[in-house]
Amino acid sequence: MVNRYSQSENPAQLSSPKPDSQYAVETFSLTKIFTDWWGRNKVVAVDNLDLKVRYNEVFGLLGPNGSGKTTTLKLLLSLLHPTKGKALVLGGDSREPKITARIGFLPEESYLYEYLSARETLDFYGRLFGLNAKLRKVRIEALLEMVGLQAMASRPVGTFSKGMARRIGLAQALINDPELLILDEPTAGLDPIGTKQIKDLIKQLAGRGKTVLLCSHLLADVEDICDRIAILYGGRLQSQGQVAALLQRTDKKQITTGDLSMDAIEKIKQIVQAESGQYEITSPMEKLETFFLRIVTEAEKEAQPTSGAVVSKGMGFLAAESAESVLDKLVAPEGVPKRSAEVSLQDALRRSPGAGPVRDGSQQVREIEPVQDEDVLRDLTEEHSVELSRSPAESIAKSTREENPSAVRDVEPEQVNKSILEELSSLEDIETSEPTENKDSDLPRRQEGAGGPDKPRTGEEQDA
Amino acid sequence: MRSLWAVAKNTIAQAVRMKVAVIFIILLLILLPVMSLAMPGDGTLKGRLQTFVSYGLGLTNLLLCLLTIIVSTYTLASDIKERQIYTILTKPIRRFQFLCGKLLGVVLLDMVLLAVFCGVIYGLTVSIPVMSGAGAEEIEGVNNEFFTARAALTPAVVDVSEEVREKYEKLRQLGQLPAQLSPTKVFAELTRQKKLEKRAAAPANELVWEFDNVRPFEPNDRIFVRFKYDVSVNPPDLNVYGRWLVGDYRQYQFGAAEMKTPIYVFDRKDLIRTFHEIVVHADAVASDGYLAVVFQNIPINDTVVIFPLEEGLEVLYKARSFTLNFILAALVIAARLIFLAAFGISVSTWLSFPVAILTCLVIYFTGSMSGFVFESLDFFTESWGRFFNYTLRPVVKLLPQFDQFNPTENMVYARMLSWSFLGYVFGVMVCIKAMILWVLGVVIFTYREVAKITV
Repeated sequence: MVNRYSQSENPAQLSSPKPDSQYAVETFSLTKIFTDWWGRNKVVAVDNLDLKVRYNEVFGLLGPNGSGKTTTLKLLLSLLHPTKGKALVLGGDSREPKITARIGFLPEESYLYEYLSARETLDFYGRLFGLNAKLRKVRIEALLEMVGLQAMASRPVGTFSKGMARRIGLAQALINDPELLILDEPTAGLDPIGTKQIKDLIKQLAGRGKTVLLCSHLLADVEDICDRIAILYGGRLQSQGQVAALLQRTDKKQITTGDLSMDAIEKIKQIVQAESGQYEITSPMEKLETFFLRIVTEAEKEAQPTSGAVVSKGMGFLAAESAESVLDKLVAPEGVPKRSAEVSLQDALRRSPGAGPVRDGSQQVREIEPVQDEDVLRDLTEEHSVELSRSPAESIAKSTREENPSAVRDVEPEQVNKSILEELSSLEDIETSEPTENKDSDLPRRQEGAGGPDKPRTGEEQDA
Repeated sequence: MRSLWAVAKNTIAQAVRMKVAVIFIILLLILLPVMSLAMPGDGTLKGRLQTFVSYGLGLTNLLLCLLTIIVSTYTLASDIKERQIYTILTKPIRRFQFLCGKLLGVVLLDMVLLAVFCGVIYGLTVSIPVMSGAGAEEIEGVNNEFFTARAALTPAVVDVSEEVREKYEKLRQLGQLPAQLSPTKVFAELTRQKKLEKRAAAPANELVWEFDNVRPFEPNDRIFVRFKYDVSVNPPDLNVYGRWLVGDYRQYQFGAAEMKTPIYVFDRKDLIRTFHEIVVHADAVASDGYLAVVFQNIPINDTVVIFPLEEGLEVLYKARSFTLNFILAALVIAARLIFLAAFGISVSTWLSFPVAILTCLVIYFTGSMSGFVFESLDFFTESWGRFFNYTLRPVVKLLPQFDQFNPTENMVYARMLSWSFLGYVFGVMVCIKAMILWVLGVVIFTYREVAKITV
């Protein structure tokens, strides 16, 4: 998760043609003040905003409701006129067809023509981009497949649920294979599968050199996918920077390994004790999202019928090798490492370490052990996470040790050195990272998603 | 261009799937055939045809105008309200292109529907005589008086301004000018009197009207002299005795040795204040297209016979086929629909749907009685003078004159719609009025914020 898109942060490495401006989106003292008919009751929606989104990065605009996120996007797209300042999108005015042809936009709700079917909707937008019939047909089918709505492509979108409409909205935003994708609350109204798919998709698109600007108040979503974020409050920029830098806690280290014998744990304990003193060993908790996804994916493998949206099988034209696609011109050339995010959802889930034991169980009725039972949970998972901390918390550690033998915590201060990593590297499937501060909860999180299963990271990679 | 077409197509789909268009279509398709069977008119075949065409075209016109108003105001206003516009204007389409696409869609829908319904009306009209089982004579009658397109010639307007001025001066010198009337009104009244004088015949006097460029469609056609008497003193039986001469009157005046074309003479007794027609064979027209109509007031009348200024006397002859005339009538309706479509979209660029549709309906109905509206607004010319002339007047001038450009009457009375009239209708209503309102709408839409204000 850390430095996941280190490649993308340097636009000089891109193989794409040199952009007109250094930034994909750039605003200068952008201000929007709403007034009533008489010019009174002023509401400052956006206040002197200087936003700079680089090419090929996933930029998240965060903020509570009414903080000016959506207004900012509308200003960028010229749906609103700024009271002061100006905005450049892809180096130009977003009213110019030359510029809009390279933008994909998903508004805060999918505003669709209810009487058009899903296919007709995409065809309509394809025509707006002036795409020829052949290209439209190919892309529409690919996008329908991608958002999992192929089976209901002929149904009027007015009959779609909010999540399904959202999928069409997203497909609509991708029909022109955009360079810049502007997404307003992309995961709003979507089920966890859809959320996961969209997040994966955004990662994939970023991997293909696209710039993504999204706004959301769902912190978990933003945290998972954004390279850089800006936090708005009251229309003002409160904070901005790289997600990893903002979230990283330098005062703690987390080591994630495969299942360990008590022997090995004891050894580590001793090393840590000798190094610094305070540590904690727990089995990592799986995120509810990951768990839910696994269950649904298995149900889908058994071909249980659903009238709702389904998990797609691939990326369609966005992943296909088509010569005329602008997308492919932007794909990183040979030598640039492929993004781990390009693993499909199924792949990721199949390789997910937690998936094994549950799959082995009864296919008809799954009995899920209560989370409180730490022993069972440890059996179900193959991983243990070792958290080392330099800050003492003696009383908690003692009580934890008494109640639960698998959670060990010691407070004697000792030094940590390279030898711990050397010890651990002999074990299978090792992963080391700086622990990141989980905004949703303080539970230790297993490294999952883009990084983990496909490409284990080492300390060296970290430092680079 | 492809994007413009996509918008047009979507607009049509919206109208059709909105069901409004469908309801109108079904209504018309049921009503028209029913009307063709159920309307007896005055009992004659001609009366039946006239009633059917009048109501059929009238209904089609009304329903299509309403449909156009609904669709044109709804299509844009709902896109803005339902915010589909967010995803459209962020695509490579300029705002005026988007509006043009909307207009194209509404106009195309209108044209298709108009063509279908006019086709239905035409088909039913043509088949009514066949179905009615009328006799050969009656059919011959409707062929001459209904299934035709007659050109109407009215007497040239005589310039009376000089005489009016003399009379006015005379009255002024005598101090007989009515004190309560403004000079403008006195002038108007004098002008009217002088004009009527030119169309009045005292007993034992005659009136001669001369027409040039009379070009009948076929040499064997007939010429119709349509007239209405007015009198200074009502005759006891309300009838006027008159002798009419129709033909190349020059032959009498200049004493031609030999009559090249016949001059038809009619002695008639006709009820006053109603329309009458004298039918003359077309060979009465001289080879150079000259035709004179003469009325002689027979002394037994003992009253001055006046031909009213409006429709007092006309010479009618078949100048074109019924079919072509029908098509021109449909085109006049088309001009009306184009105006309404442009107007509806134009106002909905800045008004919400309910307000926009109300505005359009008000304009439609005032436009349908524009004569009255213009007349009553002339009141301001006197009281507010220059202020009115430079502010309200130009705005009022943009009002469409649907009642002035009404093709239904032409069809009922088998009047020819001239190409110049059609050109005038399109020129004034579409190219000038609709264009001004349209450009206004485009400018507003180009510079307005389409997104709703949400903080």
